[in-house]
Amino acid sequence: MQAFAPGIYPRSEDLVQATRDLDRGRTSQEAVDEQVERDLGELVSVQQAAGLDLLADGMLRWQDVFRPIVEAADGLEKGALTRFLDTNTFYRAPSADGSPKLSQPLNGGYIAPLPGPRLVTLPSPFALAHGTGIDPAALAEGVLKPQIESVDAELVVLEEPFLARAENGGLDELGAALEKLGGGPKLALWVTFGSADTLFEQGLADLPVDAIGVDFYATKASSVPEGLGKTLLAGVLDARSSIPEEPSEIAAFAGELRERGVEKIALVPNGDLQYVSAAVASEKLARLGKAKTEAAA
Amino acid sequence: MSSNGEIRFLTHEVGSLAKPPWLVKTSAGKPLEEGDVEHAQIWGEKLEVDGHEGLVELLRQDERDPDEIARWSSRYCLRLQESAGVDVIWDGEQQRSEMYAWAIAHSNGFEPRGTIRSFDNKYYSKSAAVGPVSMREPYHNDEFSFLQSAAKHELKIPITGAYTLAVWSYDEHHLPRTGRLGGGLSRQDEVDARRELTLDIARNIIRPNLEALIALGATWIQIDEPGASTEEDELDIFVDSFNVSVEGLDCFFSTHLCFSDYNLFFPAIEGMGGCRQYCVGFANYDATELGTSGAERPGYEVISKWRDLPYDPILGLGVLDIHTDFIESPELVRDRILYAVDVFGDPARIHVCPDCGLRTRSWDVAYEKLRNMVEGTRLAEESLNRAHAGATK
Repeated sequence: MQAFAPGIYPRSEDLVQATRDLDRGRTSQEAVDEQVERDLGELVSVQQAAGLDLLADGMLRWQDVFRPIVEAADGLEKGALTRFLDTNTFYRAPSADGSPKLSQPLNGGYIAPLPGPRLVTLPSPFALAHGTGIDPAALAEGVLKPQIESVDAELVVLEEPFLARAENGGLDELGAALEKLGGGPKLALWVTFGSADTLFEQGLADLPVDAIGVDFYATKASSVPEGLGKTLLAGVLDARSSIPEEPSEIAAFAGELRERGVEKIALVPNGDLQYVSAAVASEKLARLGKAKTEAAA
Repeated sequence: MSSNGEIRFLTHEVGSLAKPPWLVKTSAGKPLEEGDVEHAQIWGEKLEVDGHEGLVELLRQDERDPDEIARWSSRYCLRLQESAGVDVIWDGEQQRSEMYAWAIAHSNGFEPRGTIRSFDNKYYSKSAAVGPVSMREPYHNDEFSFLQSAAKHELKIPITGAYTLAVWSYDEHHLPRTGRLGGGLSRQDEVDARRELTLDIARNIIRPNLEALIALGATWIQIDEPGASTEEDELDIFVDSFNVSVEGLDCFFSTHLCFSDYNLFFPAIEGMGGCRQYCVGFANYDATELGTSGAERPGYEVISKWRDLPYDPILGLGVLDIHTDFIESPELVRDRILYAVDVFGDPARIHVCPDCGLRTRSWDVAYEKLRNMVEGTRLAEESLNRAHAGATK
C-alpha cells in the first residue's frame, strides 16, 4: 500500500497574495520565487509528515496542467481561456499548428528538485491533444517523450481529465500514444474527475502503462477488473470537496479493492488538489497518510 | 432606436473594474506611496471628478476611512465610464470585496474555506454551506443609494445569482460526509443537493435583495451568473433559480453569462422568459481581424440561438476581450456589431458591452477599451443609418 499526491497543489494564501501583487506590479519576481520555495518546503513537510511514499512538487508555478509544456513546444500555442471540466477554474486550451516538438525540456523551475523519491505529473497525450486536431501519438512522440526522458523520477503520472468524458471513446488513440512513451520511468495514467466504469469495460486496464488511476467518487469499486495486475492509483481524496475524508472509510475501501484481487494500491486524490485551499489540502494529505497506515494494518 | 427613428445602440458596462492602489492599500491598512496619491490626482483631473482634490488631501493623511475611500473610488469609476461615453453604468464593484465574497459575507449559513485559483494568478475565495442559508441584511442597498446620488448616466446594478453562489460554494450541509466512495453517491443525489441549496439561496437571499433594491428605485438589475453552465446537467436548476428570484417583481431583469460553451444553454433557457436581456461574452472567442461575415466572426456564431428564443430577449453583445490588453479598434467593434445585427435582423435587440467585468485590466487599458467600444458603436450606427437612408431614397 502506497500513498502520494500527483497534480497541481493549491498555493498558500501567502503565495496567492504574492502572485496577485506581482501581477499588479507591487512586488518582484524574486519575492514570488522566495515564497514559492517556502510553499514547496511546507508541501514537502506535509507529505513527509503524512508518510507519503513519493514526493510531489505540487507544480506550484504551473498556471494549468498544460501551460509550461505548451510554452516549451514549437507548434503549440495557448488558446482561449476555457472552463476546466465542471470546476470554476479556467485554463488556456492548447492549440496547435503543424507538428509540435518540444524545444527544450522543462527546467527546475517547473519540475522542482525534491529531497527523496519522487513523482512527476505531466498531461496525458490524449488530454494535450484535446481540441487541437493533432494526433495524440504525434504529441506523445514530439513533445512528451523528450520531456519524460529528461526527468529523474520513480513515476511519471500522466494526468487525463478528458478521457472519462470523451463522447467517442479515445482509448485506442490513447493506447497508440502511450506506446510511444515506454522505456523510461514507470508511467501511470491518472483518469481524473470522472467515472471510469465504462472505460474499464472498454479496456482501460490494458493500456501500456504501469499504473492506472481512477476517481473513486465517480467510479464503482466493482468496475475494477478482478486481479488487476497493475498498480491502481485509487482516487480516494475528493479534490472538489471541502469535506475531510475519514481515514477509516478509505482504509475499508482499500480493503474492498484488495478483496477484488488488486494487490498493488496507491491512495491518491481524484484530481488536482488545487480545487481546495492549501489549508484544506494539507488536512486531506494528513488523512491520506492515516488511511494508508490503517489500510496496511 | 432613437426618437428620430435612427438606429441607436445602448452601451453598458458589465461588472467589475480594477480597484485603484489607493483603495486597495487603504482597505489592507497599508501606507500609501506618493505614486498612489498621484494616481488619484491624475485620474481625478483626467476624468474631471468633482472634488477630487478632497480625495488627494484625504490620501495624504495617515488615518483614512476605508469606506469613504471606497466611495471615492466609486465616483472615479462612474466618471471613467461616463467619460468614455457608456450609456448605462455602475461603479465596477468598488464597494464590494468581490462578487462572491461580498454576498456570502452578508449571508447566514456559510463558512470560509480558503482561496482557490480562477485562472493563472487570479483567485477567488470559496466558502462552504454549512447550514440553512438566509440573507443577513439587504447587502447592496447602501451601495445603490450612494450610486444614485453620484451617477450622471443611467444606472444598473448587478447582483450575483443564486446558481453561481451555489456552484462556487462547497456544500457540507446537503451532501453526506461519508458513504460517497466507490460511487456511493449518485450523480442524481448530487444534483438534488445542488437544487436544494440553489433554490434556498434564490428564495432566502437573492429575492429579498431584489425586492429591497426595487423599493429603492432600481429599474435594471443584472443577475450575474458566470457559473451557470458549470454543470451541463444542472441548467434547469439555473433557470428555476432565476425564475424563483424574479417572478412577479417589476423591474428590467437581465443576466450575465461568460466564458462557457454557450450551446449548452439551449434549450434550457427557453424557460427563462423573465430575463429581458442576456449580456454575454463573445470577443474572447473571436478573431481580431476586420470583417462582417460569419467566417470572419467565429466568436459570434452562436448568437443566432438567442435570436431564436421564443420571448425575444435583447442580446448584450460582448465586444471587448477582458482577458488581454489588446485594445479593440473602433472598426473591429463596429464589425462585430454589424455581424450581430445581420444575424438578428433587428438592431433593437442588440446592446453593446464588454465580455465581462474589466477588473483584471488597468484603468488605462479599460478606459481605452471602453472609449473604442463606444466609438465603434457609433461607427456601426452610422453604417446602418447610412444604409437605411440609402435604401429608403
